[in-house]
Amino acid sequence: MSTYIIRRLLLMIPTLLGITLVVFTVMASAPGGISAQSLVEGQNLEPQAKKALEDYYNKLYGLDSPAPVQYLRWLNNVSPVGFTFDEAGNLDGFSLFKGSYLGKSFLYGRPVTDLISERVPITALLNIISIPIIYIIAVAIGVRAATQRGQSFDVGSSVVMLSFWSMPTMLTGVLLIGFFASNQYWHWFPTSGLNDRVALDMVFLPHWGSLSDILILIFSVLFATAFFIWMSRWSKPHARAACFAVIGLLAGFFMADALPEKEQGLITSLMLISLAAALFGAVAYAQYSVLRVFFMGLVGLGIGFIIAAYFQEGPFVRGFLLDRAWHLVLPVICLTYGGFAFLSKLTRTALLENLLSDYARTARAKGVSDNDVLWRHVFRNSLLPLITVSASLLPSLLGGSVIVESIFSIDGMGKLAVEAVKGRDRELVLSLTLISGLLTLLSYLIADICYAIADPRVSYE
Amino acid sequence: MSSADMPKNRPVEASYGKKIMRDVFSRLGAKLGLAWIAIIAFAAVFAPFLANSHPLLLSINGEVSSPALRFLTPGDVTILGVFMCVVVLYFLHLSFTKNIAVLAAVGGGIGLLSIIFVNPLQLTVYEQYRINEVAENYDWVIRAPIPYSPKDYLREQGDTGLEAPLSDEHRVHLMGTEENGADVLSRMIHASRIALAIGFIATGIALFIGVILGGLMGYFSGIVDMIGMRLVEIFEAVPTLFLLLIFVAFFERSLYVMMIIIGITGWPGYARYVRAEFLRLRQQEFVQAAIVCGLPLRSILFRHMLPNGMAPILVAASFGVASAILAEATLSFLGLGLVDNPSWGQMLNQSVQSSTFNWWMAAFPGGAIFLTVFAYNLIGESMRDAIDPHLKHKS
Repeated sequence: MSTYIIRRLLLMIPTLLGITLVVFTVMASAPGGISAQSLVEGQNLEPQAKKALEDYYNKLYGLDSPAPVQYLRWLNNVSPVGFTFDEAGNLDGFSLFKGSYLGKSFLYGRPVTDLISERVPITALLNIISIPIIYIIAVAIGVRAATQRGQSFDVGSSVVMLSFWSMPTMLTGVLLIGFFASNQYWHWFPTSGLNDRVALDMVFLPHWGSLSDILILIFSVLFATAFFIWMSRWSKPHARAACFAVIGLLAGFFMADALPEKEQGLITSLMLISLAAALFGAVAYAQYSVLRVFFMGLVGLGIGFIIAAYFQEGPFVRGFLLDRAWHLVLPVICLTYGGFAFLSKLTRTALLENLLSDYARTARAKGVSDNDVLWRHVFRNSLLPLITVSASLLPSLLGGSVIVESIFSIDGMGKLAVEAVKGRDRELVLSLTLISGLLTLLSYLIADICYAIADPRVSYE
Repeated sequence: MSSADMPKNRPVEASYGKKIMRDVFSRLGAKLGLAWIAIIAFAAVFAPFLANSHPLLLSINGEVSSPALRFLTPGDVTILGVFMCVVVLYFLHLSFTKNIAVLAAVGGGIGLLSIIFVNPLQLTVYEQYRINEVAENYDWVIRAPIPYSPKDYLREQGDTGLEAPLSDEHRVHLMGTEENGADVLSRMIHASRIALAIGFIATGIALFIGVILGGLMGYFSGIVDMIGMRLVEIFEAVPTLFLLLIFVAFFERSLYVMMIIIGITGWPGYARYVRAEFLRLRQQEFVQAAIVCGLPLRSILFRHMLPNGMAPILVAASFGVASAILAEATLSFLGLGLVDNPSWGQMLNQSVQSSTFNWWMAAFPGGAIFLTVFAYNLIGESMRDAIDPHLKHKS
């Protein structure tokens, strides 16, 4: 195994070289390319000052040397093993431990390492929250679709998932911001950023004015959630649907009422009310109990919070944590829905293959219950493709966050990449390419190793 | 067995490809997808007759003229000509390669001729028709269904600007107007050309590179395969969007450059598929036989092997068209797309740039992107189901 890993790690080096070479060639061969002139361009300067600035850039970044030399110099800077130079730029010697230096950004005038270490946690936070959500929803839907093959849930979910997959993130983002964050409609969520400026000074956890407020909150939330979950387990679908349609009716009415004066109107209100009622009723009518419990629990939770807010007396400080969560809701929605659409399809195919296989039939013939066959035998064997895909999910999420981060103006890696590319920032673009390439290749490797661990038949010896 | 040996009365069995196609398009999803793409194609071909400020026909003092025809650009003429050619070819039932050859010749010919002979007036004054119509200078006038050009900002009306759909008493804007007063629906109809062209041409370029490289990799295997796979890995390890951004930001912004760039960044997936297919096929007898016969490499690869490995590649291409359209929309949305002509992504970007949120500026172009991508994905999905022997066997 270790020889295999070492070989794969060594094979990464030519690939990484190739990646940076491709990107560098694109940048260098572009008309205008990267030169001191194109960096200075657009600044309103005296000719002499311009010349001085150009000379400065040339000296600092070596932009006046031929492209291959520039690339080799960059390579030497980045690789941990290489030549060292003294102050005057003369060859000093060869060192095995000189450390890698990613250079200084043209655009920000700061070391690239600083910039990236600032931005990585933000993108990582987005992805760490999104990936589990993607997997949970995808597995829940995929398993259900596979066990009910050919029935209405299977067909319906596959169409809905395909449509989610086709929905461009920018459309969803723009509409979500427009309707739920702008003050023209419902101003429920913040429009941009990851926290309010005020929240930076707040304590981490939310704070209440008095003990009674906390008790009211806990009691009302618990009671409402429990009540709604109990209702979702009610065995009469028609009664369930009717009850929930009424609740949806009320919710639609409140939403219409919450609109600003300018947008209010009879048609809008009627549309909202009927839409909410239909949605609630349809979910309550659904045969899939997990979906029902989840949705109704969520509704109960929301109603509990509203009741608590109504009875609350003392001051309430939302704290840094709640503020962050509040800012994350819309971006996370945008990041997740495309992913679980793809994964649920994969889960379904993998499960189907195993459900129809001989060992599953044998287990059923022995008298193992359907649930045990599904979760103990079939599901474990169906995990393999999910593991493999988890690796390719990482680069796609990095790419996906480009759009999400620029829509929600979150200062993460994706936005940095767009800025770097637009500003023709050579050092930053190359470093970002290198890092994302490295991450991708590492995640492929990790996936292959996980594959071998999960499936004893796979071996790389 | 040649066709002469067959009994005359038995119908010739349809080819595998035809059977698959019939199977694909008997599915509801594929039908709906195809219907939507047909609508888009119709809008793209007849855009100047659907949405135009120039009247289709008008009569001044008994003299009939057609400003819409007068102002057709070489591009419009070429598209119309190619469309006619496709219609004629459909009824001629020629072989696939002949079809392509005729189409390419006609397209190129009409394109060249129209560049030389069609020169519309440079100065277009959209207002004149409306002013003349109000002043009753025309005997009669037939306008396009949407009487606004994509860049007609209605300057003479004075009161234009953002308008919600159907909110104005004097003018009908089915999908509202953008900030400068141009009709959103008209812009969308004209932008449908970009979406269609980007989808097909970018995927075509990606397929071309992918099939050739993947085919060589799969056929020769060994060291060629090793080097080729590293190349594929290089292009796959950088997120596609990032690579696209770099290409677009550093080169000029034009439709053709964008097509080529989306094609260049899209090929690794196809190369993988073709390689896998060819690795499987090269062991089979018919390929061995072709090699033994001393056929040239080109013939072995493209005449004998490729048609047998085409099915999964077509599925991938169908999804590829969808992702090419998405890629263009994303680039335009990030402000790196076309500058002068409207595209769906650019219109979406416009809606973000404006200071207020106007749902019609986001929902309609965004919805068009969504429906088009969805349509291609539906067709791809149906194709995948149709060629999957696994599924057929078990159902």
